[in-house]
Amino acid sequence: MKGTVKSGKGRFLVTLLLVLLLIAAVLTISVTIGAVNVSAGDIGKILVNKISGKDIFRIAWEGKTENIIWNIRFPRVLMAFIVGAGLALCGVLMQALTKNPLADPYVLGISSGASAGAVCAILLGWFSFMGGYSVIFGATAGAAVSICLSLSIASIHGRITSTQLVLAGIATSALFSAFTNLMVYGINTGSDKAKMALYWMVGSLSGATWSKLRYVVVVGVVVIVVIFLFAKELDVLLLGDDVAETLGVDTRKMKLVIIVASTILTGVVVSVSGVIGFVGLVVPHIMRSFVGSGHRRLIPMAILGGGLFTMLTDLISRTIIAPSELPIGVVAAFFGAPFFLYLIRRGNMGKK
Amino acid sequence: MSLQVKNLDYQIGGKSILEQICLEVQDGEFVGLVGPNGCGKSTLLKNIYRTYKPGRGTVFLNEKDVLDFSFKKMAGEMAVMAQENHVEFDFEVRDMVMFGRYAKKKFLQGDSAEDKKLCEKCLKEVGLSGYEHRSYLSLSGGEKQRVLLARVMMQESAFIVLDEPTNHLDVSYQYQIMDILKGQDVTVFSSIHDLNLAALYCDKIIFMYQGKIVDYGTPEQVLTRENLREYFRIEAQITKNTATGKQQIYYLPGWIKSGKKA
Repeated sequence: MKGTVKSGKGRFLVTLLLVLLLIAAVLTISVTIGAVNVSAGDIGKILVNKISGKDIFRIAWEGKTENIIWNIRFPRVLMAFIVGAGLALCGVLMQALTKNPLADPYVLGISSGASAGAVCAILLGWFSFMGGYSVIFGATAGAAVSICLSLSIASIHGRITSTQLVLAGIATSALFSAFTNLMVYGINTGSDKAKMALYWMVGSLSGATWSKLRYVVVVGVVVIVVIFLFAKELDVLLLGDDVAETLGVDTRKMKLVIIVASTILTGVVVSVSGVIGFVGLVVPHIMRSFVGSGHRRLIPMAILGGGLFTMLTDLISRTIIAPSELPIGVVAAFFGAPFFLYLIRRGNMGKK
Repeated sequence: MSLQVKNLDYQIGGKSILEQICLEVQDGEFVGLVGPNGCGKSTLLKNIYRTYKPGRGTVFLNEKDVLDFSFKKMAGEMAVMAQENHVEFDFEVRDMVMFGRYAKKKFLQGDSAEDKKLCEKCLKEVGLSGYEHRSYLSLSGGEKQRVLLARVMMQESAFIVLDEPTNHLDVSYQYQIMDILKGQDVTVFSSIHDLNLAALYCDKIIFMYQGKIVDYGTPEQVLTRENLREYFRIEAQITKNTATGKQQIYYLPGWIKSGKKA
């Protein structure tokens, strides 16, 4: 296949179908497996009853089972999906912004910024004027500060090299993680300091509820729709800012759209999941090899692929050392970090 | 479409690159920009197509300050082929060429059947028919250059700015590309490395040296032994090419004069 770009329509549809099937499979397995074993048939019946709001199927299971399936496992699996989808889309956006396949919210330190902001909101009571939304607001504010810091360190004369990008990310990430640790250990009076610090450093989806899921989905869908409208502009932007401008793209406006969208998305996602790394790095890269760089196909595939990736890592995280749970960020790093190394090895660091 | 540059100065890091540049390209002209390496040709072109920001009141397109154009409007009036830049992400050749249509589109408007036909036509003109689904990054330097030229043609702008368009090209393609440009009903302003190519195709030539315009006129007026000696530091024999009716420059390295063999 050398010399041809793999971006035909047929290839897109096959990949789409494959990913959808895998999502369905992982969804079923995730909901079925757990401390309480429930048959897939019963789960289907619970789902139908809940969605229709009527008892279509006769209830032949315990109320506790229904509660576990409907109020714990389903929100968690769906949360895994939307978190992964959001992080992968952020990766796509950061890569179009920097023209560099190594960029993603974790590598650039934006996730750490968002998590520090969320911890500020929880422990210092900042942003309390936002009421119930103070954590999500704090995370978004943290993301905004860190994205500005990271990008301004990374760019020299308006250009961002891979080396600069990675170094800026390390510095930003270290700074905000230190803040988070300082607050958790210094200010937190609770006894679960280590647990809380861990949550904000390596992520967890164990706190997923329907009400949290609702606002993440709303924000996620709005951002996805807005970004999808700019698919063509994102394509042209990949050619470089100078070229994009001579072709007629207002790059300043596009950069603003990208930065605002990815800040909001990272903030919201991190506020419900903590820091989960590498999703935005691994997923877009794999999807590009299947459907090409064009954003009209890449965006939907990155969203679905990111969802699948996180659902799968979450499933592994809660089954591999059952009955205890491994933080999802640890599992994601086992996949992501080698991949990151591979991308660096491939010669991105050497060029330019 | 006409271009005027009035008293353009440009500095990079405190160092003056362009000094008091004044020039005019009239509608329908083919104007070449020549001069030794580092004389400021690319910087001048970048000021014209706004990769560098010129001062207000210095660069005018049809007597309108380029700073008053939106990027989209500007791309509709002026197509640019810059020197090749490194791209990290791969596209099909067809997509690469289709990007030239961006400025002609309204927000969210898709590609029409005419666009696809035009794309085929442009690829055919640059000798890349059948390359539609090839990967851009897998192409050779010369092929990439021709894809970019097809994209410029796809823009259907009345004014084309090119920075050394024949770099990387085989000799046959150098002439073919210049023929294509000459055959379009457009105004062209291009920096050109090969002086014989400039002599053959340009109506006017602008000669630059150390950030200033030092000569301007027809190829016969500008491409003289004196100018070559002074600015390129090379001796030359200039004759009239009987086949083309244009000047032909033969370069004479220093050892010819001194009588020593290389």
